[in-house]
Amino acid sequence: MANTSQKRILVTGGSGLVGQGIRTVAEKDPRADEEFIFLSSKDADLTDRNATKVAFEKYKPTHVIHLAAKVGGLYGNMRANLQFFRINMAINENVLSVSKELGVKKVVSCLSTCIFPDKTTYPIDEKMIHNGPPHTSNYGYSYAKRMIDVMNTGYNQQYGTNFTAVVPTNVFGPFDNFNLEEGHVLPGLIHKVYKCKENNTPLTVWGTGRARRQFIYSLDLGRLFLWVLREYEETEPIILSVGEEEEISIKEAAELVVKGFDFKGELIYDTTRSDGQYKKTASNEKLRKYLPEFKFTPIDQAIRETCQWFSSNYETARV
Amino acid sequence: MENDSSTKHVVLVTGGTGLVGKGIKYVVENGEKRENESWVFLSSKDADLTDYESTKAVFAKHKPTHVIHLAAKVGGLYGNLRANLEFFRQNMTINDNVLQNAYQNGAQKVVSCLSTCIFPDKTSYPINETMLHKGPPHDSNYGYSYAKRMIDVMNRGYSQDCDCKYTSVIPCNIFGPHDNYNIEDGHVLPGLMHKIYKAKLEGKPLTVWGTGKPLRQFIYSRDLARLMIWTLREYNEPEPIILSVGEEDEISIRNAAEKVAKAMNFTKELIFDTEKADGQYKKTADNSKLRKYLPDFKFTPIDVALKETCDWFVDNYEIARK
Repeated sequence: MANTSQKRILVTGGSGLVGQGIRTVAEKDPRADEEFIFLSSKDADLTDRNATKVAFEKYKPTHVIHLAAKVGGLYGNMRANLQFFRINMAINENVLSVSKELGVKKVVSCLSTCIFPDKTTYPIDEKMIHNGPPHTSNYGYSYAKRMIDVMNTGYNQQYGTNFTAVVPTNVFGPFDNFNLEEGHVLPGLIHKVYKCKENNTPLTVWGTGRARRQFIYSLDLGRLFLWVLREYEETEPIILSVGEEEEISIKEAAELVVKGFDFKGELIYDTTRSDGQYKKTASNEKLRKYLPEFKFTPIDQAIRETCQWFSSNYETARV
Repeated sequence: MENDSSTKHVVLVTGGTGLVGKGIKYVVENGEKRENESWVFLSSKDADLTDYESTKAVFAKHKPTHVIHLAAKVGGLYGNLRANLEFFRQNMTINDNVLQNAYQNGAQKVVSCLSTCIFPDKTSYPINETMLHKGPPHDSNYGYSYAKRMIDVMNRGYSQDCDCKYTSVIPCNIFGPHDNYNIEDGHVLPGLMHKIYKAKLEGKPLTVWGTGKPLRQFIYSRDLARLMIWTLREYNEPEPIILSVGEEDEISIRNAAEKVAKAMNFTKELIFDTEKADGQYKKTADNSKLRKYLPDFKFTPIDVALKETCDWFVDNYEIARK
């Protein structure tokens, strides 16, 4: 007799930063009723509906964690908003429509705090996603991600599916994209400090260092993602973030990376470079209502672990 | 368009057989067409715009230099309420196929068609172009509304990243010949025309749904057509432009019903069924941007436009969409 509570969990974008975080925690703490399949772009081109359907039919998932996306840092987005919009719309349309077609029981997609309205009050909460236009630097990516929430609502209303989404703040950890032009701020800093230490040069931080961010370690996000998959039943997204009081400046983040590598050189701020949004402070009150006891890894420890991973894996890391 | 009368322009109109498409065809054939232009009016028979290959084929066939993009999955209140997801998905697909194929074929300009119903539900009045994305749309048709809003997002992307002149217009309530006169699914003015036609035949009074108090701005399809052709030729901003009569021309549904009755020589009583929903009380749109560009544009007086439309409806009752 088929075990109807058995979960086959397909993770799109499974080889990326968040996918590896989920994999690490799933392998550390496996459950008998859960089987994971981690897809990468080698397995299927999700911008192609036929390829997406073939992959889903092959693995027959009961659940999907949808992480696959075209992502980039500030500078990558600013140059190509149209492509960020179109490619992500195609991926999301394909994953959600194929999931519905094949009777997937639950899909958890991944949004981001960077998609919220630019002009807003703080802290941001889940109800505010569509209350105004996003920041101009990455409006293409932002609108594509927002449309996941529109489609989740539409699918659930029209077809009774169980589609939802999470909203992480800035994620960091092993297996990130450490490319200086395309990557995000922490992996960019980690790569730079590594090189500056090697070459004995000062560290140049792009921007004024004053912009503020909440950072979440990919392993903590992995644990929370699995909780959402197993327990969270709302259509409305849930913010997965450290609290407002944990928000730090880019300057403080740079100093933590410097400490993580024990770098002794000088820090310079190139203020001709854009800061991006000044702040994106998110409220994690909804998460705390569900999980009042959840403990995040202290940030200096998480950064140090990531710096160590980068040093040990420089040859194979995405740079 | 560059005013170079020697360059051949091919203007493709998607959704070319609908209310607005027929309005454009009428004015093109009655004086608006220029020497160097050829106009192609597409319908769903010519291509399935939800299918990329079909869209690609029709663009390759006509090689348009310019596109007026009107094709969409549209519906009344009840159609939308039942199927927001499908209104979103199909319109997103149509719009992406049309814009991407226009780009790949090197079209110089694309003018798409939005609607005042896609604006934020919670808003101040009058509505202007800068307010489009400033909050969620009304719950009843959020699927349609977001898909239309994403046209504006893509226009911005094509303009910034690909140096294309893609833009859009935002008409208020449109009326004219070749409308959908279905009483359940159609919009208010064609609905009233159809009801009066029947009431006349049956010798009965006219029952207007609602209190008659809500206010609307109405634009004649042939005026909209002239303005859309102007937009295609002269308007070069990627941001949308509202195409509407002024705020001062806003009229109540009661007043609109009285005007249609007059245009159709209907002399019996008007009754208001206040049990039926009124819909939004107002959606007043600001046409200052249009007036900056075209201070002298003359809209057809509404009584004249209604007379022409009612006459068309009566003469073409058998074939009219109802």
